Amino acid sequence: MFDETEYMEINMGPQHPSTHGVLRLKLKLNGETVVECRPIIGYLHRGVEKICENKTFFQGQIWTDRLDYCSAVSNNLGWAEAVEKLFGITVPRRALYLRTLLTELNRLASHLIWLATHALDIGAMTVFLYTFRERELIMDMFEAFCGARLTTTAFRIGGLYQDLPPGFEAMVRAFLAKFPACLDEYETLLTENRIWKKRTVGVAKLSAEDAIALGVTGPVLRAAGVAYDIRKAFPYAAYRELDFEVPTRTEADTYARYLVRMEEMRQSCRLVAQCLDGLPEGPIMAKLPKVLRSEVNEIYHPTEAPKGELGYYLVGEKGSLNPYRFHVRAPGFANLQALPKMVEGGLVADIIAAIGTLDVVLGEIDR
Amino acid sequence: MSDYVYDLKTAPNRQVTLPITVPLPSLKTYRAEQATAAKAEEAKFQKATADFETAKAKAEVAGTELPKPPVKAAPKREVHDLVTPIPSEAKDPDLLRLVERLGEGAEEAFEQSGELVCQVAKERILEALILCREDAALRYEMLSDETATHFPASSSFAFSVVYHLTSLSRAKRLRLRILIPAGFEPESATQAYPAANWLEREVFDMLGIRFQNHPDLVRILCPDDWEDYPLRKEYPVTGWGQRDIDFRDDRSGRLERLAMEKAGNTGINLKVPKAE
Repeated sequence: MFDETEYMEINMGPQHPSTHGVLRLKLKLNGETVVECRPIIGYLHRGVEKICENKTFFQGQIWTDRLDYCSAVSNNLGWAEAVEKLFGITVPRRALYLRTLLTELNRLASHLIWLATHALDIGAMTVFLYTFRERELIMDMFEAFCGARLTTTAFRIGGLYQDLPPGFEAMVRAFLAKFPACLDEYETLLTENRIWKKRTVGVAKLSAEDAIALGVTGPVLRAAGVAYDIRKAFPYAAYRELDFEVPTRTEADTYARYLVRMEEMRQSCRLVAQCLDGLPEGPIMAKLPKVLRSEVNEIYHPTEAPKGELGYYLVGEKGSLNPYRFHVRAPGFANLQALPKMVEGGLVADIIAAIGTLDVVLGEIDR
Repeated sequence: MSDYVYDLKTAPNRQVTLPITVPLPSLKTYRAEQATAAKAEEAKFQKATADFETAKAKAEVAGTELPKPPVKAAPKREVHDLVTPIPSEAKDPDLLRLVERLGEGAEEAFEQSGELVCQVAKERILEALILCREDAALRYEMLSDETATHFPASSSFAFSVVYHLTSLSRAKRLRLRILIPAGFEPESATQAYPAANWLEREVFDMLGIRFQNHPDLVRILCPDDWEDYPLRKEYPVTGWGQRDIDFRDDRSGRLERLAMEKAGNTGINLKVPKAE
C-alpha cells in the first residue's frame, strides 16, 4: 500500500481557475493532507517599479492602475498622496472628500469581486451573478466620472482634474438606497448556508501573532481580532472627519474574514453617504507650478487598500522630474507570504478557500 | 555567419544615463548645503557692495547719477500650495530613545515629512531591529516594508536599505536605514521579523544584496536563471529578452525566422540578422 513517508509533489497552477491569476503552488501532499506548500510568484512581473523610475510623477499614476486592477482608484489615491507628501502639497478639502468617495466605492467593487470569486471557488455560483450585477453599477459611476471603468487614473497630483459630472450624485444615491438590501440578499445565500459554513468555519486559520509577524494586514488581520485599520490609525484623505467603525472578529478563520468584509461593505456605504452629505464647496485642485521638480526627500505613504496596507516608497532627487526610487509595498505580497502557514496540515481542498479568503490579485504581487 | 552575442554597451536602445547626484535625505547634508548656500550668498553680497562703492566713487568724481546700493534678496514668497519638506532635528521620544539605547550605533536621527528616520551602523542593524520590537517604550511589532536603493554616484556606499516599522498598539511608524558598500552582506531581518523573508528575497532579486542568515535567499519575481539585477541604475529599461526586430520592418516574418534559427528557437532575445 501507500507508504506514509512517500509524499506526492504536485503543482497547483500557474494556470488554475481558482488561483486568481498566475499563482503557482508547489505542494507536497500526504494523501489529502498538505505537508508543505511553497508559493511561486513572478509570472506577471512587469517591472512597474523600474518603469515608474523612468516616468514623470504624472505618468507614474497610470502604472498604479495596473497593480491591483480590481481596485485601481485605491492605488491612484495612494500614489497621488505619496507624491503630494514627497512635495509637501496641501490638497483642497473638496478634492479630499471626492477622493474618499470614489475610493470607498472602489472598496465596494473590490469586495464584490472578492465575494463573487471566493464563493465561486467554493461552489456557490449564484452569488457571482448577484454581485457582478451590483458591481456593474459602480463601474458605471467610474465611467461617468472619468470615462474608464477599470484602469481609472482617477486623480491628479494636487487634487482632481474635474468635478463630479451632472447626475453622478443621483447615481450614487440610488445605489446607496438599493445596496444594503443586496448585501442582505448575499447574506441569505451564504451566512447561514450549511455548505458554506462547512467549507469556511475553522478553515485556514491564522492567529493574530502569526499575522503580525508575517506582516499580514487588512481584513485578514482584523478577522484575527486586531483592530488595525490605517484609515483610523494613520488617517489620510478625509477619513479624519468621517465616522465609521472598524469591524473585527476573533475566530481568525475564513468565515470570520467573510463576516468582516461584509461588515466593511456596510461601513463603506456609510462613508460614501457621509462624503456626499458633507461635501464641502471650493476648489478641487491645489495651486501648483506647471512642472513639478522634486527635492531630496524620502517618504513611505501607507493607505488602506481593500486588501490591506498599500504603501508607496518614493525617493526624490533634486531637480528631477521622475522618482529616483519607487517601491510598492503590496498588501497581497505580504498576505500571500502567510499562505503556507494557513494551509499546511489542512486539506488540499481548503487551499482554494485560503486563496480566496486572502483575496490575492497577482498584478500587485508580481508588479 | 556571425554569432549573435548580446552586447549591452553597444546596443543603442539600451544606453543608460547614470545618476550624478546622491539623493539621500539627511539633516547633516541639508545643514551643510544650507551653510554653503548662505556663505555664497553673503560673498555675492559683499562683492556687490564693493562694486557699488567703486562705482559710487567713480560717479562722484564724474558728477553723474549715483548707482543704486545693493539689497539682500528677500526670501521667495510661496505662491503655490506647496511647502517643500525639509529635515528637522529629532524631537520624537521614540527617536531619542533609540539614539540613547544604540549610542554609537545610531549614526543620525531626524524627522522629515512627518516621518521618523534613524540611520543605523550597518553592522548593528539586527540589534536595532530587535530593540525596536522588544523595547517596552518602542514596541514596533510589525515590519511593513523593507527595500533598498542603488546610489552609483556615491563613493562611500553603494546601497541604502530601509526598514519601515509599524507599531500597531501605539499607531507609530519608524524608518531605519543602513548604508552599505557593494558586496557587504547585512544581517537578515528575518531573525527579528519573519515578514522580512520575501521582502529580502525581493531586494536580493532586484538589487543583488545578499543577507546573512536568511533561510531561503533565492530569486522571487525574476526567473531563477535571470542575469543581473533589474533595479540597479546601470540596468537598462529596455531589458534583456526583448526583440530588436520591429514587426513593421518584417511583415513577411523572414527576419524573425532567420533570427529564430540562429537563437536556437528560443523565441526570445531575437536580434536583427545582419545582411548575409
